[in-house]
Amino acid sequence: MASLSLIDVHKTYGSTAVLDGVSLEMEPKEFVAFLGPSGSGKSTLLRIIAGLETANSGEVWLDGTRIDQLAPGDRGVSLVFQQYALYPHMTVRENMAFGLRNAKVAEPEISDRIEKVASTLEIDQLLDRKPGQLSGGQRQRVAIGRAIVKVPKLFLLDEPLSNLDAALRNRTRVELAQLRQRVDAAVIMVTHDQAEAMTLADRIVVINDRRIQQVGSPMEIYDRPANRFVARFVGSPAMTMLPVTLDPGSGSNATVQLAGGTKVATQIICAAIGKNENLELGLRPECVTITAEGSGTLDGEATIVERLGDRTLVYARLSDGSEITAVDRGDSRLKMGDRVGLLIEGRSAHLFAQDGTGYHSGLPA
Amino acid sequence: MTARDRFGGYAFVLPFVSAYSFLLILPFIMGVWISFHKADLFGAREWIGPDNYVRLFDDPIFYQAMGTTFMLALMIVPALTIITMLLALALNRATRSAAIFRGLFFSSSVLSVTIVTLIWRFVLTPDAGLIAKVLAAVGLEPIPFLSHPDLTVPAIAITTIWWGLGLPMMLFLAGLQQIPQDMYEAAALDRASRWTTFRHITLPSLRRTTVVVVMLQTAAQLQIFGQAQLLTSGGPSGSSRPIVLYIYEIAFGRWELGYAVAAAEVLFVLVLLLTLGQYWFANRNEEPGR
Amino acid sequence: MTAATGRNRLPWPALVGVLIGAAIMVAPLLWTLLLSLKSNTELMRDSASALSAPYTLDNYRDIVTGSDLPRWLLNSLIVSLGTTGGVLLLCSLAGYGFARLEFPFRRTLFVFVLLGLAIPEQAVILPRHQLFAMLGWHNSYPGLMLPGLAAPFGVFFMTQYFRAIPKDLDEAAMLDGASRLSIFWKVLLPLSFPAQATLGVFTFLGSWNDYWWPLISATTSDKYTLTVGLASAQMNYAQTSGLGFLMAQAVFASIPILIVYIIFQKQIVGAMAGAATR
Repeated sequence: MASLSLIDVHKTYGSTAVLDGVSLEMEPKEFVAFLGPSGSGKSTLLRIIAGLETANSGEVWLDGTRIDQLAPGDRGVSLVFQQYALYPHMTVRENMAFGLRNAKVAEPEISDRIEKVASTLEIDQLLDRKPGQLSGGQRQRVAIGRAIVKVPKLFLLDEPLSNLDAALRNRTRVELAQLRQRVDAAVIMVTHDQAEAMTLADRIVVINDRRIQQVGSPMEIYDRPANRFVARFVGSPAMTMLPVTLDPGSGSNATVQLAGGTKVATQIICAAIGKNENLELGLRPECVTITAEGSGTLDGEATIVERLGDRTLVYARLSDGSEITAVDRGDSRLKMGDRVGLLIEGRSAHLFAQDGTGYHSGLPA
Repeated sequence: MTARDRFGGYAFVLPFVSAYSFLLILPFIMGVWISFHKADLFGAREWIGPDNYVRLFDDPIFYQAMGTTFMLALMIVPALTIITMLLALALNRATRSAAIFRGLFFSSSVLSVTIVTLIWRFVLTPDAGLIAKVLAAVGLEPIPFLSHPDLTVPAIAITTIWWGLGLPMMLFLAGLQQIPQDMYEAAALDRASRWTTFRHITLPSLRRTTVVVVMLQTAAQLQIFGQAQLLTSGGPSGSSRPIVLYIYEIAFGRWELGYAVAAAEVLFVLVLLLTLGQYWFANRNEEPGR
Repeated sequence: MTAATGRNRLPWPALVGVLIGAAIMVAPLLWTLLLSLKSNTELMRDSASALSAPYTLDNYRDIVTGSDLPRWLLNSLIVSLGTTGGVLLLCSLAGYGFARLEFPFRRTLFVFVLLGLAIPEQAVILPRHQLFAMLGWHNSYPGLMLPGLAAPFGVFFMTQYFRAIPKDLDEAAMLDGASRLSIFWKVLLPLSFPAQATLGVFTFLGSWNDYWWPLISATTSDKYTLTVGLASAQMNYAQTSGLGFLMAQAVFASIPILIVYIIFQKQIVGAMAGAATR
């Protein structure tokens, strides 16, 4: 039985559609990330699940109960707010107890649960302080603690790392990964940061332009993006897109021709692509490596060289003016303006039709 | 949304809205209605159309009272604005003594009009007052502040200024606090003199506050009442009777409610127009983008 | 005042100006205090005697034992506290409603309330006097308190304050299973205490110092508030018990409000400045 099911959820504000027929099934105890740019509708979807917004149509089911008609407090859902939303006038203990008291949990059990959660989150020293006396990281633990004590069936996280500085962010990411061991619940995290989604989630739901673009494991999303949007949005730096035509001489696997005439052999099955002739070739940076000029698939000029230590990113301009992102070794001696050869690894290339649909090597998408 | 959600808000809003409608809006509408009646304080009513208003414009005492009111406003508003601006400039610093002085200049504002007039009566009165005693000590005659027709209006004005310094001073102080510190730092780097800094940074930044102070004070002083009633009872021979005191006298001295209310409506419209006029005038001269 | 602005040393002409101003502020107060400490007979001869001993507390003793002033003080306290409590209750509820809840004609009603800001006391006081007379409400505590409840500024102030509280908190409480009323009562109301204090002090001062309404509504001495009582004492001064006694009444009546001022100085100043700059 699915833990959370969304069935054809629609939401409009006035005449502006925000969500247009969203459906989703979550496995029990699954950790799912809603990934998308701001304004994509992902936060609205989260708020509809929590009951803070009402969908115009569609259904929300949780553990076999339809919850979209229930009050937020009756849904068995906890939410950790982006800004934490701790009650400033209550101590940490009162913050955690508030929801339990409203749910008429007996006082001894309340203090029991708080003690337990506080010690696992290592906030037991902070129980009698008020939120104003806590650091950002502590506040977030309290916010998580307040959500955990309610023993929700579904745990919602709204941009949990966006308010933390870089050092704290990494530590909290590890803690969030442990969170799922602590809670016997499914987890949904909303984020615009693909690295967060990739590292934490079992499955990623990419949302853009009112719709779910793709649902899949992090590696599926990365290796087999369903469309051009997902391909460009996931992965950093973004996938290079080059306009190509399908070479009529292709065998069962497609060979494509770049604007300059260079041919690249892919392992994408021709039959899947069908009649599409004008395509885009999608290349992850790691599929393009730097060689000496003249010895690669193409030649170009390095316009920006970014040294990351373990590897070097090279942004190169081709003779027709298009840009391509490539990777070189960490000890690369390349300078801006150098002429370079670019070796394209055709077997991990992607192709995108004009409607955006993605085609990948091996099995049809 | 359920009906409970849709109308639940009224439970929070209606207690106030009904009290407000009953205690402010209803009397306001009643006032307009009564002003077209020959009505006394005890309920007798007779519709007379605009006669009360017509009568007002033939009433020499009404004109005298209007004159006195404007005289008071003209004495009080500019003086109060300038004095409080200067005080704010002098006391806008983070020292202990500045805080004490601010507290002192504000303290008179928390006193009621009866206490203020009681205090000032025995500062001004020629037989036992403080000023008279000081003058006597240096061999001068006492000044009849509260009985000479030329002195009663200034006496009321001085009392009012003493009483009302606090609020405008605090407004100016708040205005000064809002001027970004970096503007002064930039001016200092540009080697601006103290005067140039004041003239080109401080003064323009206080423009909005000044408009607010003038508007508030004008509206308040046109409705001056207690000081005149308690200090001079409007005398001698009506020379210090402002319009609100006249309204009070018509209503509770002559019991001519309809006529009094008509005068109140005229004053209301006048205050509203003057306030809006000042607002318009201030904004008309506002350079765009500010 | 948080930041130090202006240069720290005051130029001497400004200092002299401030000192003269301060002297003008203090002199009448001091004079009043001194007069109140003198026997009436001595003042009758020459009020300048107030500048030298002997001083006495007799006038204050007379106030406590043989005057209406304590009664008026009590009346003022009852009326002002009643008005303040009512205003806080009504304005908090309405402010929360306008700031947070959706209901038909919400905006229209809010504008309707703001209209009241333009209506001055003198435009409604006479008809209201008629209204209360018809209902037989004059010369009573409720009659003295009720007009203060129509405080559109209070609603405006509380609405603004509630709007500034992050909506996240309401939503967190909703997810915590709190009802509308309990969100208001347990989350937003406690958070609005600073605003309550400001509005409360503001209302208390206004009500305590109100003169015109109690002047026409309270008709017998036992219902007089301090302002009206002192006004009557002032009017009857010539016939009654002397200058020192009168001034002692002024001092006596000022003390409670000056104490309130000293305790709540921050709120009072904040309220006044905040009120007018919006």
